[in-house]
Amino acid sequence: MLPLSIKDDEYKPAKFNLLVKLSGWFRSILADKTSRNLFFFLCLNLSFAFVELMYGIWSNSLGLISDSFHMFFDCTALLAGLAASVISRWRSNDSFSYGYVRAEVLAGFVNGLFLIFTAFFIFSEGVERALEPPDVHHERLLPVSVAGLLVNLVGIFVFQHGGHGHSHGEGGHGHSHSLFNGSLNHGHRHGHSHDGHGHGHEHSHGGHGHSHEEPHCHGKSLTQSIPICGHHKHNSDQQSDVCVLLHIIADTLGSIGVIISALLMQKYELMIADPICSMLIALLIGVSVVPLLKESIGILMQRTPPSLDQALPECYQRVQQLQGVYNLQEPHFWTLCTDVYIGTLKLLVAPDADTRWILSQTHNIFTQAGVRQLYVQIDTAAM
Amino acid sequence: MACEPNRVRLLCMLSLTFGFFIVEVVVSRITSSLSMLSDSFHMLSDVIALVVALVAVRFAEKTQATNKNTFGWIRAEVMGALVNAVFLTALCFTIVLEAIERFTEPHEIDSPEVVAGVGAAGLLINLLGLCLFHGHAGGGHGHSHGGHSHGSKNKRSKAGKSQKAGNGSSGEETNNLVGNHNSPGETRPRNEINCKDSAEVQMNGNTHFDEMDHEHDSSSQLNMRGVFLHVLGDALGSVIVVVNALVLIFVWQPCKAGEMCVNPCINTHTTDHKHTAGPCWVLYLDPTLCLIMVCILLYTTYPLLKESALILLQTVPKQINMHRVNERLLSLDGVLAIHELHIWQLAGSRIIATAHIKCHDPTSYMEVAKRIKDFFHDEGIHATTIQPEFVTFNSESRDSLCELSCRTQCAPKLCCGSADKPNADKKAGSDSKAAASALEVISETSEQAAAVQVRPRADAEVTVAREVESSL
Repeated sequence: MLPLSIKDDEYKPAKFNLLVKLSGWFRSILADKTSRNLFFFLCLNLSFAFVELMYGIWSNSLGLISDSFHMFFDCTALLAGLAASVISRWRSNDSFSYGYVRAEVLAGFVNGLFLIFTAFFIFSEGVERALEPPDVHHERLLPVSVAGLLVNLVGIFVFQHGGHGHSHGEGGHGHSHSLFNGSLNHGHRHGHSHDGHGHGHEHSHGGHGHSHEEPHCHGKSLTQSIPICGHHKHNSDQQSDVCVLLHIIADTLGSIGVIISALLMQKYELMIADPICSMLIALLIGVSVVPLLKESIGILMQRTPPSLDQALPECYQRVQQLQGVYNLQEPHFWTLCTDVYIGTLKLLVAPDADTRWILSQTHNIFTQAGVRQLYVQIDTAAM
Repeated sequence: MACEPNRVRLLCMLSLTFGFFIVEVVVSRITSSLSMLSDSFHMLSDVIALVVALVAVRFAEKTQATNKNTFGWIRAEVMGALVNAVFLTALCFTIVLEAIERFTEPHEIDSPEVVAGVGAAGLLINLLGLCLFHGHAGGGHGHSHGGHSHGSKNKRSKAGKSQKAGNGSSGEETNNLVGNHNSPGETRPRNEINCKDSAEVQMNGNTHFDEMDHEHDSSSQLNMRGVFLHVLGDALGSVIVVVNALVLIFVWQPCKAGEMCVNPCINTHTTDHKHTAGPCWVLYLDPTLCLIMVCILLYTTYPLLKESALILLQTVPKQINMHRVNERLLSLDGVLAIHELHIWQLAGSRIIATAHIKCHDPTSYMEVAKRIKDFFHDEGIHATTIQPEFVTFNSESRDSLCELSCRTQCAPKLCCGSADKPNADKKAGSDSKAAASALEVISETSEQAAAVQVRPRADAEVTVAREVESSL
């Protein structure tokens, strides 16, 4: 059988495709404000990391080199967030019938895991240093840590939620960038201080935070579904203020901890202060990541959306009171991504019931609750 | 029970590894060797991985639906696999960092004999762990079911014996994915079911399962694979430690105490002292081997990462071809159109499908529903929710547009949907848009009015193209 058509657009050279793809991604990134910021900070972070690496190699300072690698490590988290924000905009296709929107939740989760791992790593380094204190050059430590705190405070005001201050003992430069988490609008802060390696190179990270505005999934944030820490419009302003305050406090605590340890080392030659500070800060990071993780785990585990927890039983009652409905079975409601809820349920109805009316009423009831995609299966009771 | 061996294995390995961790910490304090301490932290991360896997297995046994988690906790195992894969990746990064540091500043180990001994012990424990987990994670259980192909060998869809039962009729369709969580008003006692019961309840209530031990097949395999990879990484690490220590013992000539010699590898200036420390390449062996190990680990971890991430992203399972499913559904009698077909994998072999099916009228619906359920059972999908839609007689044959999708103001708020554009072809009194069609493939091969179908389909496709483009 002769071929009826020849598709030669499949035979484009690969390079051309790659360029097209890359430029497509760039356009997509630059189109949206959040991902634009994210990209900007990723570039900033990468360039600083490179500068540090080059300087470290040139001056043969191991501390600088290792610190630059840690910055690269941080960049991967930024990159994950950026990738998620690009991926989640792709259209749905045969393999991804819901599209790629869950990528952001997943990226948030992975970022949270990375943060926990970083905390664990810093903690273990702190323990090592406590057992075998190295020689720490602390002359420039104090001004640098104060600079870290200032950078953190600037970050708070500039970015509203996020600031990752970064200061280094040898390089003596500080910069701030914020780490955006692709899925969650979380003012999220923690600080950690981080020791160098055996060269007395002391540097501190103050205020590592991230936040993200979620444009697709309605611009509302995931935290709005959490009654405790929300920037929810319906919540009282007090609640969200307290929460933001908590975040700020946690972050500045980190910077202050570094300053205190620097003071202790300088004035009282208390070398043990540094590892203890690191361990405390690692604990702080760990603790502050937990709500983030709980949220994303809830979404990924197909948990009933927390914001619907009160509304759903009411809806069930209303549906069961409809004419002809005997019973409502197997309700499953879950979050696809921020603020998009999907539900399935089965209704047991009388044989003579008006199915069409029941269906549209049920849809109305749940649309009012906020569930837009609903699948209602009608089972007729055998009479 | 299948779960029990898993748990027993995990607990066994966990206790061994934790004990070894303590031993390593003690030894490192005695010999004041920093490298042993850092290796003990690697062991600790192994312990954490095992704990994560254990927690996941424990949670996944609670397949009973709860009020908050209506699907139960089955997905916990996929999450456990993802967490393990991510930790492993992060661990690889830190190993790379340390290796690069060692490249720029090599230093020798103080007491290589002790290190070799401890490394050998660690290797033994890890080899034991590999044996424990390899048998379970490597082989795949499960059976194929006529009519569909399988993706990887680890993902076998469990079709169960529903064919024998035959009638997936809607009367029987209190099809329970997880336990019997009937009406939300009742409070069900949340007793823990062991594996056998839960599996029985899950698979359409069919009870004749001889292969019940393979119930937690793919999802727990995913979990165990994560553990296996972690233990593999550790084993490789121990191998490197042992090799390094042995090479150091036999090849390296250290500076003897009391003599004046310099280590030419660390100090860059050349000397012509009589006694110089041994061949320099020995010091670079450790980081090189570490880098090789990292490559191996990353290569083996990546498939696990991808698989668990794809499940969590609500992908259509690999063995299911959406086009074909669509076509075959449309070829069933009484089915006029399909909208919003979504098929996704909860965990392992539990696949869930939802769709809106358009049919003629309520009386014929029951028959159609039965056929549809049978069809899905054949494909291996047992938890389906089919919403019927009926042809309203004031609509022309606009089968492509969903009757019960959201109203106009929701269109921009539909996930991954189109922008809020006024629909070109307005259905009389209808509220739907091509927003629904932006989400799935629409194919219509309805027998009636084939000619008329061409036009609305073209319109639908045009609007799909336009709206999808504008959504970017």
